[in-house]
Amino acid sequence: MTDHRDETIGAAPDEAIRNAIVWVHGDCLRPGNPALAAAPGAPAIFVFDDALLDDYGTTLKRLVFLYECLLELPVTIRRGDVAEQVLAFAHGHGAERILTTPSPAPRFLEIGRRLDAEIPLTVVPEIPFLAYDGHLDLRRFSRYWKVAQRYAYGQAGLPLDEDEAPSRARVDGRGGPVG
Amino acid sequence: MARDFADRDALIAYVAAQFPDAAERDANVAPVRGGRAAAERRLDAIRPREYAWTRNELSGDVTRLSAYLRHGVVSLGEVRTAAIDRVNRRGDVRKLIQELAWRDYFQRLYAAGGDETIWEDQEDWKTGFGPEDYADTLPEDIRLGATGLPCMDAFIAELRETGYLHNHARMWLAAYVVHWRRIDWRPGAAWFLAHLLDGDPASNNLSWQWVASTFSPKPYVFNRENLERYTAGAHCRTCPLLGHCDFEGTYDEIKGELFRPMPWDDASAHRGATNGKRAARR
Repeated sequence: MTDHRDETIGAAPDEAIRNAIVWVHGDCLRPGNPALAAAPGAPAIFVFDDALLDDYGTTLKRLVFLYECLLELPVTIRRGDVAEQVLAFAHGHGAERILTTPSPAPRFLEIGRRLDAEIPLTVVPEIPFLAYDGHLDLRRFSRYWKVAQRYAYGQAGLPLDEDEAPSRARVDGRGGPVG
Repeated sequence: MARDFADRDALIAYVAAQFPDAAERDANVAPVRGGRAAAERRLDAIRPREYAWTRNELSGDVTRLSAYLRHGVVSLGEVRTAAIDRVNRRGDVRKLIQELAWRDYFQRLYAAGGDETIWEDQEDWKTGFGPEDYADTLPEDIRLGATGLPCMDAFIAELRETGYLHNHARMWLAAYVVHWRRIDWRPGAAWFLAHLLDGDPASNNLSWQWVASTFSPKPYVFNRENLERYTAGAHCRTCPLLGHCDFEGTYDEIKGELFRPMPWDDASAHRGATNGKRAARR
């Protein structure tokens, strides 16, 4: 699996991106999906992961929501074993490369390895929420936020409040959204 | 699979026929529409200042973007930009950005620790009980919303029918399941994941662990006064249990009933003395 981070992806597909298909998964269902943008016009596929849906006991409303998202994307929709379906689709199009976007899910990594063993997989990065790649202490949100707050406002030139210095910003002791 | 449908009803019928197990588990369909166009309407409606003031109230000005964020229909960065465009100073957008950061934080934990992080206790329980004291299945009355507690049953019905619950209602319901019913957080978390349109293993499970106390310094509990305040009395006003429901009492009384003393706090009055302010502060 290669990470596309250091490469510039322009509108004109380079050699590597020609003959590619795009695997769209459930963590990036927007038209501006970076993998779709990296290979304009390339065949794209989404696969409902039957085993995962069973594991999670997924209910109808979630599937309808996902389906509505998919209908706004230029993707072929399939179901079954994700790696098998994506590989069959890639072979059907004579693809020499598969592009996708990142996900933290272990299942994504496992599927990615299976794809990459047969056809090279390129994970096109998303723009990170924090423009920072240094150390973050993840033991508690408050520790994370101590550093993250310097980057969390992006490039915005908003003035600081009079009572606010970045190191003093308050952190609530809560658990964030359940779900 | 098919892409052309005459209307939403045709789409729903098709998906139900293709995934009969999912429909059998629960055949409700959410009023919320999937897709970028629907997400952009929500994005346009963000009001960061009102969000900061009212987000803890069930009728508050929350963004309802969670399902779109979960599935990357919009990105955290896009929501941030939309929010910042509507304010003139950081203070007006800080609360919303901090909530976006919570999602980033949970995703980083998931990336670093995988399934072990989200399905295993991150820390010991701080309730005086051990993992063996918590039931490992969710009883039918909870699953079906027939607990007899009008507030909880209303939240459960909303979860099943819409695939959405306000964050505060999620916390109350999770606390009820784990602490009042002494059920392990895992079956609770799995139940939410089956229903929530925004169900994300990292955000969901780590938040359940936060309520349980396996990812926080103390268990989260609430009392009826807190629930009444943030629901504007919607459930309590007409509740036949008013005055003697399971959630009556001060925080100290409730903790005394629910938990065993922990080794480090001999004075029960000291236990989680600030907990009652937690939700109010948020």
